[in-house]
Amino acid sequence: MSIDPHHNVVPRLPNHSRRTFLQSAAGGIGSLALTAMLAGEGRGAGHGQSHHAAKAKRVIQIFCPGGMSQVDTFDYKPELDKRDGSAFDPDGQLQFFASKPGNCRGSHWKFRRHGQSGLWMSDLFPRLATCIDDLAFLYSMHSKTALHGPACFMMNTGFTLPGFPSMGAWVTYGLGSEAEDLPAFVVLPDPRGLPPGGIINWGAGFLPAQHQATTLDTTDPQHPIADLFPPTDFDQVTPASDRAGLSFLQRLNQLHRQTRPGDTELDARIKAYEMAARLQLSAPEATDLSRESQATRNLYQTDHPDVGPFGRQCLLARRLVERGVRFVQLYCGAENTTAKKIRPNWDSHEDLPRDHGYWGAVLDGGASALLKDLKQRGMLDETLVICTTEFGRQPAAQGNGLGRDHNAGAFTAWLAGGGVRGGIGFGATDELGFKAVENPTYSYDLHATALHLLGIDHTRLTYYHNGIERRLTDVHGHVLKPILA
Amino acid sequence: MVRNRLLAFAMVLLVTSASSRGADSLLDFQSQVAPILQRHCIRCHSPNNNQGELSLATLDDLRANDYVIAGDPESSYLLELITPTDGQPAAMPKESNPLSDAEVALIRQWIVQGATWPSDVVVKERSKADETWWALQPLRVAKRISSDSNISDAPLPPASIDEFVRGKLADKQLKMNPPADRRTLIRRVTFDLIGLPPTPQDVESFVDDSDPMAYEKLVDRLLASPHYGERYARHWLDLAHYADTHGFERDMRRDNAWRYRDYVIESFNEDKPYDRFVQEQIAGDVLWPDDDQAVIATGFLSAGPWDFVGQVETKSDQLRRSARVLDLDDMTTQVMTTTMAMTVNCARCHDHKLDPISQREYYQLQSVFAGVRREARVVSDSSLKAYESAKQQWVRRRNQIDFELARLEGDGLDLADIVGGGNGSGTGTFRQGIDVRNAKVQTRDFGRLGNVVPNRFAASDFDFVDGVFVPSGEAGQAKVPVTSTGITISGLPTTSGDAWDMIRNGPVASQHSPELDGIDFTQDGHSLLGLHANAGITFDLSAIRQSLADGAAETSPGMPLRFTAQLGYFGASGPHRADAWVFVDGRNVAEFKQLGREDGLQPIDLELSAAVRFLTLVSTDGGNGMGHDQIGFGDPRIRPKTSPTRSDADAHRIETLRGERDQVTAELDALGPPPRFYGVVAEKDLPEVRLLTRGNPETPSGDVLPPSALSALAMLDPELGTVTTDEGQRRVALARWITSIDNPLVRRVIVNRLWYWHFGQGLVDTPSDFGFGGGRPSHPELLDWLAEALVHHDWSLKAMHRLIVTSDTYKQSSRHREPAAKVDAENRLLWRQNRQRIEAEAIRDAVLFVSGKLNLRRGGPGFEDFDYQDAYAPIYTYTTADRPELWRRSIYRYIVRTTPDRFLTTLDCPDPANLTPKRITTTTPLQSLALFNNDFMLRQARYFAQRIGREAGTDPAAQVDRAFALALGRQPSQQEAQLATEFVDRQGLFALCRSLFNLNEFVYVD
Repeated sequence: MSIDPHHNVVPRLPNHSRRTFLQSAAGGIGSLALTAMLAGEGRGAGHGQSHHAAKAKRVIQIFCPGGMSQVDTFDYKPELDKRDGSAFDPDGQLQFFASKPGNCRGSHWKFRRHGQSGLWMSDLFPRLATCIDDLAFLYSMHSKTALHGPACFMMNTGFTLPGFPSMGAWVTYGLGSEAEDLPAFVVLPDPRGLPPGGIINWGAGFLPAQHQATTLDTTDPQHPIADLFPPTDFDQVTPASDRAGLSFLQRLNQLHRQTRPGDTELDARIKAYEMAARLQLSAPEATDLSRESQATRNLYQTDHPDVGPFGRQCLLARRLVERGVRFVQLYCGAENTTAKKIRPNWDSHEDLPRDHGYWGAVLDGGASALLKDLKQRGMLDETLVICTTEFGRQPAAQGNGLGRDHNAGAFTAWLAGGGVRGGIGFGATDELGFKAVENPTYSYDLHATALHLLGIDHTRLTYYHNGIERRLTDVHGHVLKPILA
Repeated sequence: MVRNRLLAFAMVLLVTSASSRGADSLLDFQSQVAPILQRHCIRCHSPNNNQGELSLATLDDLRANDYVIAGDPESSYLLELITPTDGQPAAMPKESNPLSDAEVALIRQWIVQGATWPSDVVVKERSKADETWWALQPLRVAKRISSDSNISDAPLPPASIDEFVRGKLADKQLKMNPPADRRTLIRRVTFDLIGLPPTPQDVESFVDDSDPMAYEKLVDRLLASPHYGERYARHWLDLAHYADTHGFERDMRRDNAWRYRDYVIESFNEDKPYDRFVQEQIAGDVLWPDDDQAVIATGFLSAGPWDFVGQVETKSDQLRRSARVLDLDDMTTQVMTTTMAMTVNCARCHDHKLDPISQREYYQLQSVFAGVRREARVVSDSSLKAYESAKQQWVRRRNQIDFELARLEGDGLDLADIVGGGNGSGTGTFRQGIDVRNAKVQTRDFGRLGNVVPNRFAASDFDFVDGVFVPSGEAGQAKVPVTSTGITISGLPTTSGDAWDMIRNGPVASQHSPELDGIDFTQDGHSLLGLHANAGITFDLSAIRQSLADGAAETSPGMPLRFTAQLGYFGASGPHRADAWVFVDGRNVAEFKQLGREDGLQPIDLELSAAVRFLTLVSTDGGNGMGHDQIGFGDPRIRPKTSPTRSDADAHRIETLRGERDQVTAELDALGPPPRFYGVVAEKDLPEVRLLTRGNPETPSGDVLPPSALSALAMLDPELGTVTTDEGQRRVALARWITSIDNPLVRRVIVNRLWYWHFGQGLVDTPSDFGFGGGRPSHPELLDWLAEALVHHDWSLKAMHRLIVTSDTYKQSSRHREPAAKVDAENRLLWRQNRQRIEAEAIRDAVLFVSGKLNLRRGGPGFEDFDYQDAYAPIYTYTTADRPELWRRSIYRYIVRTTPDRFLTTLDCPDPANLTPKRITTTTPLQSLALFNNDFMLRQARYFAQRIGREAGTDPAAQVDRAFALALGRQPSQQEAQLATEFVDRQGLFALCRSLFNLNEFVYVD
C-alpha cells in the first residue's frame, strides 16, 4: 500500500515492517512525521485498513469511577435479599479493602423485569430500563485489583500500572480519525474533577503523543480546548494580528524549508499550523450546545441542577461522534477529593442509598438520553456505547452501615449499539453477587470485543515497547461472540 | 527431482541411524527426545498454556492420560496423534511444523525402550535467542598492529569512529556529507551538550576563531559548563522514571526527591566514572555509608511510582502483596534495563520467550531488591545531627539578636511570629499555624477544612493569643464571639462559612504569592500573618504589654501601644475579592471591603490606648466564596506608642547587631533544607522470595530462591549470595556483577546511549533492549570499539562525549541527498547528521534563554508552577509560570505524576510512569496551538520583545537583526530582513518575537 503523508491513518502492515514504519516515523529521523491528531484532507483514503469489516465506526464510553455496585443496579440477586441481615462471612476469614465484611445486605432498590427481553434492572434506573432491549450486560466482569487507581488503569489500559496506552489511544493508533477538523480521541472528565489516577487514565502511555486524548472543557464554550486561542486578557493579540503572525511564520518556514530538501517533518510541521487554524473554527462549533433544539436539550435534561452537567456531556458526545470523532470517553464521577455531603463518585462506603442514589439519577438521565437520541438519529448501529466502572461492591454491608466495600470479584458492564446484540446477558456471578463464576471476564475480553466491533483483531494491534510487542489485551482476551449481533 | 531424491536419501539415513541405535543403545532423553517436544509441542502444551489440558513439560500428563504407555507404542495415543495416516497429515502439532518421520521414529523408539524421563528434566519452550546471542558475547576489538612492526601488508583495523563509519558507507558506495559550517555546528553541539542555544557572542567568536582547535576548545568549554550536567541528568532521569510525587490514586508529594536529581547532575558534572556511578545508585548506601552523595544515589532505586493505597492504606493483605510484587518488578526492571538493556520483566510470568532468561532467574534478581522499601529517609544520622546542631546554633543566635534589636529599636513584637509560636521577636516557626477550628498548632498544609463550626470561639494556649474563630455574619445579624471573655461582634456580612488552611506565620497553603507591591513578605526580615478567609484571631494586648515592659525599662504595663501592618489581598488577580477587618475590644476600628490584588497594600497604623485589652483581626470572603481569598497582614507589629530614646552606645550596638544578623542569615541560607532524601531503607526482616507461578503473588512455588544474576552471560559467575545473604550485600553483589570489567553489556549499553543522545539514533536503535526483540547494531564493531574505549578512558563519560562529538561523523552536515536516501533512507549508516527537533524541556529552556528570563539558579527543591491543594488525592492545578523562581531550567521542575504539565506533554514530554530510553517526536496541531497561544509563550514573547527594545533600540532593522541573532544564532537573509521589518512595522515587535518562537528553525537543530 502507499503511504499518504497527508493522511493520518496508520497503514496496516505486517507486524515488523509496520513497527519499523511507526517507530521511524515517530523517532523523527528522516521519515514521515505522523500528523495523526486530525485527519486533514485525506478523509476516506485510508479506510478499509482494518483487519475485518467493522460494525462500529466509533465509540462512546461512559466510565463510572469509584466502583458501581452490581447488586443494586443490574445484577439481580434474590438470594441476597433473602439473606439480608444474616452473616456474610461467619468465620471472619475475609478482609476487604477497608473493612471486615458486615452482614448480607440486599439491594437498596427493587428489581423488576423490563422490555421484551425481560431482563432485570433495579429501580435506580427508570429511564435506562426503557432501553434495556438495546443493552448487552456483562454480569461476570472482575478486576485484578480492588484499588481505585490501578483498577481504573486496568479498565482503561488493560494494566494495573500507570504508563500504558488507554483504549481510546489504541483505537486511534489503529484506525486514525475520520473527523476533518477535530481530535480523534476526546475525553470529557466529570465537571467536578478528575477520576482516580488522574489524566493518565486517558494518556497515550508509550504510544506517540498524538494518540493521547484531548480533553474538552465544556464550561467555556468559547475555549473548549486548551490554548485553542490566546488568553482573552492578553491585549497585544487580536484576531487580525493572529492571522498576520501565522502567515508571516509560514512564510519564514517556507524559506527555511526551501534550503532543506527531503525533510517531510518540516512539511508536516508547517501543515500542523494550518490544521490548528481549522481546529479553531471547528471546535467551538462542535461544543456549542445552543445549536440543539429545545426538545433535544430537554431529553438530556441539560438544565437540571444535578443531571444537567452529565447530560450536557452526553449530548456533546453525540455531537462529537456525529462529526467523526472516533472515540469519546465520558466520566460520570470524579476522584475522592474533598469530603462533601455526597461523595464525588460512586465510591459508596458509608451511605450507598445516598451516593448511588445521586449518581444513579445522573447516569440514568444522561445515558438513556444518549441511547435514545443516537437511535432516533440512526446512529446507534454504528456507534458502540460502553458503560463500565473499575470494580464492583460487596454484597455485604460495610460494617453496620449503609455502605459497601470494594469488590474486585464481580461487577457489571454493559454495551449497546455498534454491532452489539441487545437484550442479553453474558456470564453470571454466584448467588450473592460476590464473585463472577460463569465465564468470568477481565477488561481484556471487553477490550477485545470492542476492538473486534471496530474491525480490529486485538492480537494484531501491537506496538513495541521495552522488549515487548505490547497489546491493549496483554497476552489475553477473547471476543465475546455471544453478545455480537 | 535431484533435490527430492537427496532429501529422501537423507531421511532414510536418519531413520536408519535412529533405529539401528535403538535396538542396542538406549536413547538419551535429554539430548534426543526432549528437543523434539521442545520444537513441536511445548508452546501449546505447557503448564502455562495447557491446551487440551495437557502439558508436555514433564511425563505426568502424558502418562496419566495414556498418551504414553511405556513399552507399548501401539497403545500410546501420542504416537497416533503425531503420525500421518492415509495421506492425511498428522493431527498434531496444530500450530507448528509436523514431526519428520525420523522424529516420529525416535519417539516410538523412546516408548519402546520404556519412556524413561529423568525427573530433573523439564521441557521448556526455547527462547528465540540463546547464550550465543551477539550482545552476550565478549567484546570483540581487533587490535591494531603498532606501526613500527612492519609485519604485514594487510589493511589495518579501524581505529577511529570515522574509519568505522566510512568503511560501512564505502560498502554501499556512500560517502559522508561535508562538515557543517561553524554556525550550524555551534548550535548543534551547544544544544546537544548543555541543552541551551549558544549566545550570539558565542556564535560570533566561534565563527571568527582562527585557531584550528577552536571546535575542540568549544567542546571542552561546554563539557566543563555546569549546564552539561543539567542536560545529561535529564536523559538519565528518563531512564529512572524520576518524578517528585508517588503517582497512583493518592499522588502525594516527595519533597526530598530532588536530592537524587541533584546527585545525578553533579555526578555528570564531576565526570564520575560510569562504573562507580552505577554502583552508587544500586548499593551506594552499603558500599560508602559515610559518603552522603553515594547514599543519596540510591534515590535511583526509589525514583519510580509507588502505590500508597495498595501498599499502606488498604487493610487487605492480598492487595498489598499484589502491589508489592509490582513494586519490586518496577525496581528490578529499572535496574536491569537501564544498565544492561535486558528486558528481564518479560520473565515475570514465564521464561523469557525471546532471550535466555528463565522465570527462576527473574525471581532471583527480584530477591536482590526484596529487602528494600522506598521511603523518605535521612541521608545519615550523623549528617542530620550535624545539620540540626548547626542550624539550632544559628537560629538561637539570630533570635538573641532579634530580641535585643527589638528592645533597642523599640520595634515591639511581630504578631506573625507570635502566630508561629514565637515570642514576637523571631523565635516562632515559619509557616507554623493555628487551626481556626480548635486553636491547635499545625505544621502541615491543609486545604479546605472539614468540620467547620462558624462563630465558635476556640481559646489558644499561646500567651499572646486569646483565641480564634471562623466568622459567618449572616447579613450582620450574627453575634460572633471573638474573645475568651465573651465579647461579640456583629455587622459582618454573610459568608460561605468555609475555611481554608491555618492562620499562619507566613503564606497559607497554595498561597498565590507572598509578594505585593514589590515586597516579598517572606524575605529580608519581613513577615506575613496569613489569614485566609474566613478566619479571625484575637491577640491579648495585656500579655503583650507585660512582655514589652519586661524588655525595656522605659515602658510600663499601662502604656499606650501602636498597631502597624501592611494589609493586602495576596491571592491571584482577577475577579476574586475578600474583606478584612480590625476590631479593638469588639469595636470595629478599620474595615477594608472587597479587596483585590490590584488594590495593593493598605497601610494600617492604629493607636491602642492603655485601656484596651483585645485586638482582633478578621478576614471574610467577600460574598463570592472563599476561593483565592488570601488576606495577609504584612509586618504586623505592636510596639510602644513612643519610641524609647536612644543613646550613642545603643546606636552603635544596633549597628553591630545588624551586621552580625546578616552573617547569621547567610549561614542559615547556606545550610539549606535538612539532609533528607527519597531513597530506600531495609525491611526489618528479609522477605523470602519464591518463584510465582504465572507471576501471581498468590501462587508461590518451590524453594526460597537465593539471589542471582543472569547465567546467560557465560563469562560471569551469576551467584550473588545465598538465601541468608543480607539485603545490602545482595545489592552490592549485583552492583559488582553489573560493573564487572568482564561484563560486555554494561559498556555496550552506555556507549550506545551516548551515541543515541548525540545522533538521535543509537547504533542499536532500542537503547534499553539488546535482546532478540530489540534492534541489531548497525555498526557492531564500532559499538565494541567504543565500549573498549570507555575502559581505556577510565569509564569517563566526558572522554566519550569528546571522542564522539569531535568525529567527522558527528560534525558532518545534515543535508539530505536523494541518492544516499535511496540506499539508506533511515540513515543507519550515517551518511549525514540527523536533523533533530529539540525535546519539550529544551524548547521551554530555549524560550526562556532567548527572552532573557532564564533563571540559572542550580540545585535545590524543584520549582512548582502549580497550586497545590492537600486532599485525599492531592490536587495540582497548573498556573502560568510568570515569576523568576518559576523560570528555572526544566530539570528543576517539580514533576507530578498523575497531573503532568499539559504544555510539556503536548510537546512530547514523556509520562514519568514509564522508563523512557528514547524520546518520541510527534508533530501535531495541538503543539502548534500550545506554542502559538499558550499564556507562558505569549508572556515570554513579550519579554523577548522588551529585551530587543533594550538591546537594539528603536530601529526596526536593528531590532530584526538582534531578534534573529538571539533566536536563531544568525543574521536574517536579505529577504527575511525585508519581510520581518515590514512585519514589525505593521504588527509590532511582540508579534515578531511570537512568530520566531514558533519557527521550524527555532525547534529543529540541523
